[in-house]
Amino acid sequence: MSIQPPYLCKGDTIGIVCPSGYLPLADTNACVQQLQEWGFRVRIGATVGNKYHGFAGTDDERCADLQQMLNDPTIHAILCGRGGYGMSRIIDRLDFRWFRKSPKWIIGFSDITILHAHLFGRLHITSFHASMARAFADKNFSNIKTLHNALTGKNARYRCPPHQLNRKGEAIGPLIGGNLSLLAHITGTKTAFSAVGAILFLEDVGEYLYNIERMFIQLKRSGLLSNLSGLVVGGFTETKDGKIPFGATVEELIRAQVEEFSFPVCFGFPVSHADSNVTLKHGAIHRLSVTGRTVLLEEQK
Amino acid sequence: MKRSIFFKQLLLTGGAIASGQQLMATPSLSNPKKWMLPPDLKSGDAIGITCPSGFALQEDIAPAVQYLEKWGLRVVVGKTVGKKDHTFGGTDEERIADFQSMVDNPELKAILCARGGYGAVRIIDKIDFSPLRRYPKWVIGYSDITVFHSHLHAQVGMASIHAKMTEGFPSDPSIFEPTQLQALDTLRQALWGEKLTYTVPPNPLNRPGEASGVLIGGNLKILETLAGTPSDIDTRNKIFFVEDVGEALYSIDRMFCNLKRSGKLSQLKALIVGSFTNIRPDDPDEPFGRSIYDIVWNQVKEYDYPVCFDFCVGHQKNNVALKCGVHHRLQVTSDASTLTMFGS
Repeated sequence: MSIQPPYLCKGDTIGIVCPSGYLPLADTNACVQQLQEWGFRVRIGATVGNKYHGFAGTDDERCADLQQMLNDPTIHAILCGRGGYGMSRIIDRLDFRWFRKSPKWIIGFSDITILHAHLFGRLHITSFHASMARAFADKNFSNIKTLHNALTGKNARYRCPPHQLNRKGEAIGPLIGGNLSLLAHITGTKTAFSAVGAILFLEDVGEYLYNIERMFIQLKRSGLLSNLSGLVVGGFTETKDGKIPFGATVEELIRAQVEEFSFPVCFGFPVSHADSNVTLKHGAIHRLSVTGRTVLLEEQK
Repeated sequence: MKRSIFFKQLLLTGGAIASGQQLMATPSLSNPKKWMLPPDLKSGDAIGITCPSGFALQEDIAPAVQYLEKWGLRVVVGKTVGKKDHTFGGTDEERIADFQSMVDNPELKAILCARGGYGAVRIIDKIDFSPLRRYPKWVIGYSDITVFHSHLHAQVGMASIHAKMTEGFPSDPSIFEPTQLQALDTLRQALWGEKLTYTVPPNPLNRPGEASGVLIGGNLKILETLAGTPSDIDTRNKIFFVEDVGEALYSIDRMFCNLKRSGKLSQLKALIVGSFTNIRPDDPDEPFGRSIYDIVWNQVKEYDYPVCFDFCVGHQKNNVALKCGVHHRLQVTSDASTLTMFGS
């Protein structure tokens, strides 16, 4: 069983850090305002607004900022400002000893997938796969509301419409996953985790169809897919194709790769780099139900 | 013939034992101690051409056929040549059947993959490589064919040749630059069992030194997408080479993180960095700010093995034949870097 950090109460403090890509300070305004409206205090980390090429600071700076937030007992949750690229460069330098004794919620997605994988695989601590600071300025506020619900301890219960390529069934298991490119990237490394009995969710942005398939094959050949209890496919947005078409949609190619298994599969789940990206409690036990009429993903008490 | 193969295998195994952990590359098919070195080719031998990945039309491979015949080889053109299933050289079933028929064919001494692209990983687990124990042969190619080199290294235990494919053969030699023709000739030399020695100019960022070990490597992206799978290679005590094309710098950096975090950089004998061509431009607002040299150096600075940049391997004109799974010696000095094959 995973360890769950304490939920947040009014007056608790959320720290914002940028462990990966650069984020202008002004891009956190809407986020800070909203968090304060919810009754939280906000601490802005040194990496927010800091810029070193595409990164939010040097490796040392990003590592130190996140480390400080992990260790600081007056910080109750850590919201990553944005993804981009950079977590791979610092993950092995972070010290989770204090965090392990006194876990707190870590929030983010995309490049932050590596951190979620580390928390699940190594530390067995749940975390939130959710939109990050910049998304608070978006019009689609329903995503942001799911983060408030999650932080304050409301159990998640999400529905999405059926898809013709769904495979019906029921599954119960820890909900894990994130960005496919990052999950492929950590396969075979020390951050790789076991997905036995898990409900795996995936999303990605801007990838070539053939590359999505190649990454799927990597996950399969590494054994990650063979003992899943369910597969939740989110949005694969801005996918690219070559001059000669690949000849299958992303849904078709994924379905073909899991044809040999029998676990339930659903497509079009609202987790993505686009408008719909609900908060998912990474590592917590969920139930997935895929029927002809609906898809339901709910956290188990 | 048979005696000379046996002798070479003996040499190779002897070398492996002498240098310690080389047997980490032990094949798991059957006899784990027997590393296979396919026989040298000679005039009159047969070579197959097949498309395990992207498609190639008959006219695409015609110059290669002509050239190979000029070398004195008989060319067996596989059924996938001319086949086209979207980007693939036929359906998975067709590509598997064609490759398998070449593996099974006792006449063939080599299999030239027509081209890369994408598709090898879709079929690699469906091919029965066990007939290679009786009929060892050279598998030739690069880019997506890194899947085969890695799999042969990790699972089969057979040497193979990382080299140009059919597009590297000119229809008219006068349209090719001398470096292209020379690079092409290294494939003939490799097939004929001639001693291969490559010397490249120094790069001030090289780390000097001397090392010997089994050579393995290939396309960086493919190596990353094989990590954690049965085709993943063990690079310990080896001379490891990488190249890539069309990747962004941040992605190359991330792939080097993958190499490091999957343990592929810590116990090398040496690292050879080939070309990284057509690097995808950065977002102008967020330039990555580091060169390929900085990226590599950052990942290997804590070790002390020799590092050679700008080696003549990659998606470029000067892409020489490299025998994967065979012992080599690398010397990196301030004057030049030299890679020499030994064991044949």
